[in-house]
Amino acid sequence: MRISEQAKQLCRARILEKAAELFAARGFDQTTTRDIALAAGVAAGTMFNYFPSKETMAMTMVNEALAQGREEFLTRLDGGESLEEELFLLIGTELRRLRPLRPFLGPVLERSLSPFPRKSVCPEGETARQEHLECVRQILLRHGFVTTPEDVAGTIYWSLYLGILASWTGDQSDNQESSRALIDYAIRTFVQMISGAHRGGDHVR
Amino acid sequence: MSADTPRKRGIEARAALLDLMPRQEEAARRRLAELVENVAAKRPPTTSFSRFWILGSLQAKVSCAYLAYWLRSRWADAEERERLKSETHLKAALELLGTMGYLRGAVMKLGQMLATFPDALPEEFARLLPALHFEAPPMHYAMVREVFLDEFGKEPHELFASFEKQAFAAASLGQVHRARLHSGELVAVKIQYPGIARTIESDLKNLRLLMQPMRLGEDWDNTVVKLAEVERVLLAETDYLAEATFAQTVRDAFTPGDGIVIPRVYPEYSTRRVLTTEYLEGVHLEELLESRPSQELRDRYTHLLTVATTRMLYRTHWLLADPNPGNYIFMPDGRLGLVDFGCTRELTDEEWQLQVKVEDALLRRDEKEMERLIVKASLYDSAGQMGRERLELIGRVIRWQLEPWLSEGMFDFGDEDFFRRGMDAMVEVMRKGFTRGMPVHIWTNRFILGARGIVYRLKGRCDFQEIYRRESGRGGRERSTTLCPPLTPPAEPSPPPEGEG
Ligand SMILES: Nc1ncnc2c1ncn2[C@@H]1O[C@H](COP(=O)(O)OP(=O)(O)OP(=O)(O)O)[C@@H](O)[C@H]1O
Repeated sequence: MRISEQAKQLCRARILEKAAELFAARGFDQTTTRDIALAAGVAAGTMFNYFPSKETMAMTMVNEALAQGREEFLTRLDGGESLEEELFLLIGTELRRLRPLRPFLGPVLERSLSPFPRKSVCPEGETARQEHLECVRQILLRHGFVTTPEDVAGTIYWSLYLGILASWTGDQSDNQESSRALIDYAIRTFVQMISGAHRGGDHVR
Repeated sequence: MSADTPRKRGIEARAALLDLMPRQEEAARRRLAELVENVAAKRPPTTSFSRFWILGSLQAKVSCAYLAYWLRSRWADAEERERLKSETHLKAALELLGTMGYLRGAVMKLGQMLATFPDALPEEFARLLPALHFEAPPMHYAMVREVFLDEFGKEPHELFASFEKQAFAAASLGQVHRARLHSGELVAVKIQYPGIARTIESDLKNLRLLMQPMRLGEDWDNTVVKLAEVERVLLAETDYLAEATFAQTVRDAFTPGDGIVIPRVYPEYSTRRVLTTEYLEGVHLEELLESRPSQELRDRYTHLLTVATTRMLYRTHWLLADPNPGNYIFMPDGRLGLVDFGCTRELTDEEWQLQVKVEDALLRRDEKEMERLIVKASLYDSAGQMGRERLELIGRVIRWQLEPWLSEGMFDFGDEDFFRRGMDAMVEVMRKGFTRGMPVHIWTNRFILGARGIVYRLKGRCDFQEIYRRESGRGGRERSTTLCPPLTPPAEPSPPPEGEG
């Protein structure tokens, strides 16, 4: 018997929904795939066809939230923004979408995103990185900077971004306002740096 | 050569700092030395990247943390002589810190306070802290939008009919934008830099740690209590809703006929971090003076300012603790606008009652009672313990503060001799380190100095007695039982506020 595409989508969505609930209620590490399968009413074997691990589930949610954030970000632009402002809006909008997942995000991001090369990369983590960096590349392009995701600027940007995510997931302040100051600072630092490099930098003179 | 001096000073200071640090912490030593050297040399760093890095507050925090750490470990078992030597180094360190013009949050606010009103700290700090005079980091519009989404769930342009993306004024903890409501009113929207309240807490903690080892003589404990008081009021200032409530209370005390305008607060557009008030058109003191106002106008504003502060004190028993000249707006139609009620301090009942006693004694010219009250307010048990010199000097300051109150008719606040006498006495108090007293004096003094400074620059006059009688609701001089606001003596008798120490 073949399952329709629509039924597949529904099943996938249900698994994600239940996983999110359990992660939020018990914590990521305390939730097993069995728990999720049970809650979603699917056999463990079936669930693995959709998601090979709970990391994959969590990162799928993260990626969806980030993608929504980026889409929304584009609608918020009015064209008059400086480079700093655009980057700030991008990260701000993404994080707002990520907020519902915040309670269990710490261990997930820690495992799936890393500035260091790894043997076994989490494919969803890699997707998150590439899609975010692509969006950043587009922004930079609009402001006259040419970079590729793999160059020095991209690497430094990614480290700053991971630092922001790390701070934000553990931020106890209201609305994560402490992280807002950090984002501001990190972006200004980054833009100053690439501007220096891009324009030859004062140190050359 | 002008570039040489700071550089040389920087190198000396670096040596002094290195001397302070534990030998085993080699890497950290070098890191701090680097940081300090950068700052001390005061030359713009070569690359724009490092220039920005220098401007950031992270570095300040790092330096503070390093310093605090080393200083603490250094002092743990230091001998007295060693300690004194180290104090010298610490002073050098603090002086360097003072050149870091970007220390944010509270240190900056504290610096501002101590610059106007240095009595909480001894001389070295009085000299150092005026350099720490700044504003919160500027926010670009994208940041403002994010803050609005957090605070209102809406973007500024959704909330307002129009909103200027550029701030028109800097505030100590944020910035102020002009906007228009859908109903047409022009408003001023004050927005707080995210997380600044936490910065204040941590900066003050750092400052206390830095000061700890100095244990500045017999008045150290008193200084600690005062710092706690400063922190309390500063943190209160980060809550714009509290400011809104107070502004409304003050506003209710005035009628249109007074010529004094307290901007209306729009609570629907205000939160703890955003405050929206009616925009007041007008100029600041500086600009007013540049327009060479007539004596009549100077007198008028002096009168209004006196009425405003007097009424606030008598009706609400509150002190306007932040007498920043920017908070007075001289309106084109001759009215006086008052903004910023964030930094205020309410007198407790005891503080108020005891103030009444001082006044009584003064008016009765009861010198014995005056002396008793000064001794008490300076936290001594007896005149003998306080010492003649201290008693005389504090008394001189109080008498100066009371002078307008005791003279009939027009009082000339622009009189140079009058102003100088007061300043001289206060400088003497500072120089002698006679700063011991109740924490509330920080605010009464600021209140007085702030107001006196403004009317002096205005070169204005007013009938002080007449205003006092009217505002206090009390009759003639003989029957008066309370002092006018700019007259609160530093030796105001009152117990320290609850919860301190
Ligand atoms: N309603 C208003 N109308 C016109 N100008 C205003 C208004 N509110 C604030 N301002 C301007 O913005 C400046 C800063 O505002 P405000 O004093 O309230 O901020 P603050 O954070 O308390 O700053 P500070 O402590 O440095 O005075 C004021 O000095 C004034 O020039």
